[in-house]
Amino acid sequence: MAMETSDPLFPVRQTSLCLDIQGNKTDIIISSYEDHFLVIVTQIGSMGTILHARKEEGVSIDPTFNVAVVFGKRDEPMLAACARKLIEHIRYIFQFILPIDASLCICLLNCYQLLHPCYDFCYICSNSGSSKALVLSLGLRDHSVGTLKGIVSAVIEKIF
Amino acid sequence: MNSNGGVEIANQSMNELSIKEQESDESVQVTCFSEFSDDVTLHFQIIRLHKQIYAWIGCNSAKFGHLYAAAPTRPSNNVSVTSLIGGDSDNTGLGIARRLVLKTGLNIVLACNIPKNSPMLEAKAEKKLMEKLISLGYIMRKI
Repeated sequence: MAMETSDPLFPVRQTSLCLDIQGNKTDIIISSYEDHFLVIVTQIGSMGTILHARKEEGVSIDPTFNVAVVFGKRDEPMLAACARKLIEHIRYIFQFILPIDASLCICLLNCYQLLHPCYDFCYICSNSGSSKALVLSLGLRDHSVGTLKGIVSAVIEKIF
Repeated sequence: MNSNGGVEIANQSMNELSIKEQESDESVQVTCFSEFSDDVTLHFQIIRLHKQIYAWIGCNSAKFGHLYAAAPTRPSNNVSVTSLIGGDSDNTGLGIARRLVLKTGLNIVLACNIPKNSPMLEAKAEKKLMEKLISLGYIMRKI
């Protein structure tokens, strides 16, 4: 169940949702600031491990992302992989998708992935422009691949 | 027999009430509000998790600012605080986070974009945030 909770006059847009992922009740809160997205994912009632992810500014055609654990578990590579996946998605939202209506872009993405499943949609996009950084907090009961995939899917669906 | 049945019904009702209380305690609560004064607009976002509170203070903008974490440290009842993102020699939000934990005993993660060298603004923001935490009933205890 998802809920938009912000007052239209409040400058930070946010979405809350509660869903079951691999049998664990999971609360997800996504807040959109001027220069950051904050994604809080919790199954344990606290923020848990906090990661900071951003796209590096550079001259290279291929984007470079920096993902760092700023608080909590530093020996769980899957958490960093989760942040990496989300920051890539944020990057192509801002560089390619934002000029297009959000509902149209989901449709385009689904169509493209059906026709060309071997292509990574991210690398088709242009490299110009900047995107928001991501602060991701993961307070999870388990760090399995299934749980993290479920989280990434749920957040990507809502992060517009 | 009737009194035993009545006791069982009462026990069942009490169990249901305590389960509902536990569920409402564990639900996430989000509160957002703004304060306007003296050409400055302060925005506040409070996210209450079961065991922790996240708060964001925005000054005239929706920039994320610097991120801090603070918590009471047992057994000496001191407060530990650290800067997680950003932060320099003038850590405006760090002082706010530390004093919030000192006064409330809560485990707090605070994001704040108040400009440095603004002690009056910092004090006003801290006061408003404290008032809101009290009014929402989030304050546990004072250290």
